[in-house]
Amino acid sequence: MSVLAVNNLCKKYDQFELDNVSFALEQGTITGFIGRNGAGKTTTLKSLLNFVHPDRGEILFFGKDFKASEFEIKQKIGFVTGGINYYPKKKIKTITATTRRFYENWDQQAYQLYMKRFELDENKTPDELSEGMKVKYSLVLALSHQAELLILDEPTSGLDPVSRDDLLDVFLGLLQAGITILFSTHITSDLDKCADNIIYIQKGKVLANSDMASFLAQYKVLEFSDEQLTDDLRSKLIGYKQTKHGYRALIKATDASHINENVTDADLEAIMIHMEKE
Amino acid sequence: MNNLLYKEFKLAMHPTALIFLSLSAMMLIPNYPYYVTFFYTSLGIFFMCLSGRENNDIFYTMTLPVRKKDIVKSRFLFVVIIQIAQVLTAIPFAYLRSLYNLPGNLVGINANTAFFGLSFLMMGLFNFVFFIKYYSDPNKVGAAFGWGSLMMAIFMIIAETSAHVVPFMKDYLDTNDPNFIEYKLIVLVVGILFYGLLTFAAYKKSVASFEVLDL
Repeated sequence: MSVLAVNNLCKKYDQFELDNVSFALEQGTITGFIGRNGAGKTTTLKSLLNFVHPDRGEILFFGKDFKASEFEIKQKIGFVTGGINYYPKKKIKTITATTRRFYENWDQQAYQLYMKRFELDENKTPDELSEGMKVKYSLVLALSHQAELLILDEPTSGLDPVSRDDLLDVFLGLLQAGITILFSTHITSDLDKCADNIIYIQKGKVLANSDMASFLAQYKVLEFSDEQLTDDLRSKLIGYKQTKHGYRALIKATDASHINENVTDADLEAIMIHMEKE
Repeated sequence: MNNLLYKEFKLAMHPTALIFLSLSAMMLIPNYPYYVTFFYTSLGIFFMCLSGRENNDIFYTMTLPVRKKDIVKSRFLFVVIIQIAQVLTAIPFAYLRSLYNLPGNLVGINANTAFFGLSFLMMGLFNFVFFIKYYSDPNKVGAAFGWGSLMMAIFMIIAETSAHVVPFMKDYLDTNDPNFIEYKLIVLVVGILFYGLLTFAAYKKSVASFEVLDL
């Protein structure tokens, strides 16, 4: 049974449409949800939690329909956005004192442990926390009610590289506890470090949904000059762009098999940049 | 529901909602349009909804294990508690005013039993107009309060003018208690009844609007 299964999710706006978005998450994995700004990541995540009402589609958490079991499901999930943006002037201890009342499995010992581990001071207000600390506080709340699934909406946006790396270490630690993470971001290098699977969404459609290694293995990056750009090569290129010394493009690994020079492995950032340029 | 109500008092409540309860003491002013006291109650409710928008209260609450309609229900419960508290705190001051060796309120209706019935009616009308508009789009809380205030202003103008020109209002309702108490009690009961009906209708409509709203 999938921790989360989304089938044919559709939502139409005047200027934008989520078009049959489908994916599934298995327990104890980190799934990167990537796409450029406005691709539909947040709309998808908000649809999962009933912030946005999908026109069509099925959303099953732990095998149960969200609408029918909303209360039970919310006890087992944590929704973390890029830092807490609610009640910025209230003390953290007041926010915690209110939040904990809603969760049957609230573990005060775990709460204190995580607060200490993340060096968070209960007497501060969210406004007094750095962006990284805000994300960590959101995580503390989620972990203290023993969430089995964390839905993270761009948790690393706005963080410096050291804080991001620190947070990724936390995520990797959570995997060992069997926690499942869905991690939306446009900072692809974060996923290079920790994701097991990738869902790539473009203009409201899922372009790719696979494990990270197979996804990366499908593409290569090719660098070439003007003279090397034949019609045959041009037809195989994906989103080529000019560089300081010539051109660079993405190419399917199968098309690159006979090319020996200037071919390198593609990372997520290269794939996204060239795909979006196509 | 207890937890949500706790959240309303601990996190969401704007301090003015409590501070304005002290304005019940305005019943002591010898001549005053006493309905204004309950306008302040509504102002406190507006401040709470406004600060809720600035503090992302709905987002926060939506992430908690609660049903969407319970978010609306807890807000209505809070509002009813505050409005009833305003009436209950006003009653002793109204009684003290009635002990003055002065003529009754020269501006408008005396702070008597009928006045409290009419005040309930006014608060019910505010709840009906304000919350139906507010829950159709909580971001436009200013517009909702604009319509709610307009409704109260119209009510106050009509009610206070009636106390001077409508014979039944002038001769029976705008008198010191316990004179004509049977008429005044009927107005009180009808006012409470309408308050309940209007607030319940606003709650039902608000739940329906909020349920389908994309946040």
